[in-house]
Amino acid sequence: MVMSFFRKSESGLDHIAHQTISMLGDARHSFDLASTVIISGADPKAIGADIDATDDRINKAEQALRSELVVHVAVRGGADIGLVLGYTLLLKKIERIGDQAKNIFDLAADGVSLAGADDIDEFVARRQEISKMYVEAADLLASQDSVAAKDFLKRSLALNDACGAKVGEYMHSEQPGSWAVPRAILYRYWKRIVANLAGIVTAAIEPLQNIDYLDDGVTDITDD
Amino acid sequence: MPKLPPALARLPSIPRPARAVLVFLLIYVFLVGVSMLESGIKVMGADTQASLFSNVDSPLAGLFIGILGTVLVQSSSASTSVIVGLVASGALGVDAAVPMIMGANIGTTVTNTLVSLGHVRQSNEFRRAFAAATVHDFFNVMAVIILLPLELATGFLSTAAGWISDRLVGSAGSEWESPIKKWVKEPVGWIKDFLKNFVDDDNVLGTTMVIIGLVVVLVSLIFITTNMKSLIAERVERSMNAILGRGGGAVAIMIGMLITVAVQSSSITTSILIPMAAAGVIKLKNIYPVTLGANVGTTVTAILAALAASRPEALTVALVHTLFNLTGILILFVIPFMRPLPIMAAEKLADVAVKNRMIAVGYVVGVFIVVPLIGVAIFR
Repeated sequence: MVMSFFRKSESGLDHIAHQTISMLGDARHSFDLASTVIISGADPKAIGADIDATDDRINKAEQALRSELVVHVAVRGGADIGLVLGYTLLLKKIERIGDQAKNIFDLAADGVSLAGADDIDEFVARRQEISKMYVEAADLLASQDSVAAKDFLKRSLALNDACGAKVGEYMHSEQPGSWAVPRAILYRYWKRIVANLAGIVTAAIEPLQNIDYLDDGVTDITDD
Repeated sequence: MPKLPPALARLPSIPRPARAVLVFLLIYVFLVGVSMLESGIKVMGADTQASLFSNVDSPLAGLFIGILGTVLVQSSSASTSVIVGLVASGALGVDAAVPMIMGANIGTTVTNTLVSLGHVRQSNEFRRAFAAATVHDFFNVMAVIILLPLELATGFLSTAAGWISDRLVGSAGSEWESPIKKWVKEPVGWIKDFLKNFVDDDNVLGTTMVIIGLVVVLVSLIFITTNMKSLIAERVERSMNAILGRGGGAVAIMIGMLITVAVQSSSITTSILIPMAAAGVIKLKNIYPVTLGANVGTTVTAILAALAASRPEALTVALVHTLFNLTGILILFVIPFMRPLPIMAAEKLADVAVKNRMIAVGYVVGVFIVVPLIGVAIFR
């Protein structure tokens, strides 16, 4: 550990940036597992331990990175304060989407399964679409490509609206509650995840004060 | 590698190799300053020298002067280097310098205590920050309470340091042909010759050289510290993160020492810990060993200064500083039942200070200014 002083390795915000992207990878893993269980009807017990371990990893990473941000400010002073606050928000959003994946898993653990349902293809497509967005968000965090980020935000806004519309549709459905409620809840969680992914990308390209807010001052699509 | 958002990218700065060269130049300037101090005292008449240092014949007066001098410049590296310069000139003896060195150890803790006062508005933050700062104070005060009487009774620190410097540079009273001294002698001679064009009186010439020497030592140390901090910020950050991950103990002492040797300032090392403690990311028991390492690390500056001196006694005094801190660690950290004492004292004081913030202010003013002033007035 003393040798860490002499060793030339990644440190500071570069290290935090890499770890943040790795956290997003873990969050995607949780999302894929949880969504797959509910869609495929697999035994939740089989992957419960993996979901818990991944969530624990995300939470510990968030805690460790928060400490590293404090150390960064203590050592470097206030020069990077905007970036540090941006990362604090970013980490919280990733931790949240980890929790939302766990919520999806809890639905499956409560016995909800969409396996064999008539509308299963729609859920499979949405799951894949959102899963890809995790990868895109991670790439955008690394590249800071503002053009691609704006395109991502446009698509995420559309997807968010679509998820919201689906929630409304199921809320007013003539189908029995045991059919409509799980679907409404699942879309609600997906809507939250998409909103937080958009928030993550916004944090990467927008000034701190614009994160979670639109130009005219109203809150953006992020919802807790 | 992930890029940082362009709007927040850091401003262009001096390239690292250029900054490293600059640090070497600044160390050279620092050594010239120490040598200038030594030469300035030597130029003064014997009577002037005797009257200047008659006040520090009492060890307690020396101790309090060490505290006050260090509080004034907020750097024990600077004050101990000046003491080394004075010993090198022959005007100050090793016996008189040792309590001053111990006082410098106490005085240097004022900086991080002042930093902790910045957290005064948030009770919980302030409790952690103030305890983190004062654990350093308590260690240094306890070390002085234990080791100063022992040193006065037995002279064990100065004897041991004298034995080491004997082996390294020769016995006390002799002239040591330091290679570094040769490099720094020339510019000191030029400045002295230049000043002689304007000043005839030796006392005035000596005083002017001492003042210039003091300014050069202080300013060069400030720039060395600033540049080194910038040069090794990444390493400091990595090391601090390593401490957070693994905790305290000998490793934390080593890291505290390495960082302090690199930045040439224990105040920088210990002040970095305060916001970390305030935010609750590092515990007091892990801060404590880092501050002990900082205590040892900061003694390197005086050893460096002694290399530019012509008398072995200068190195002896610098080594006393190192041995004092190492012995303090042996007593107050290695002995299990002693280890919690500074931590407990710091926590108790922080609890009291949180209830009444004026006690914190009173503590800083009292310990670092009022008590030393009264001490100097009584014991000189």
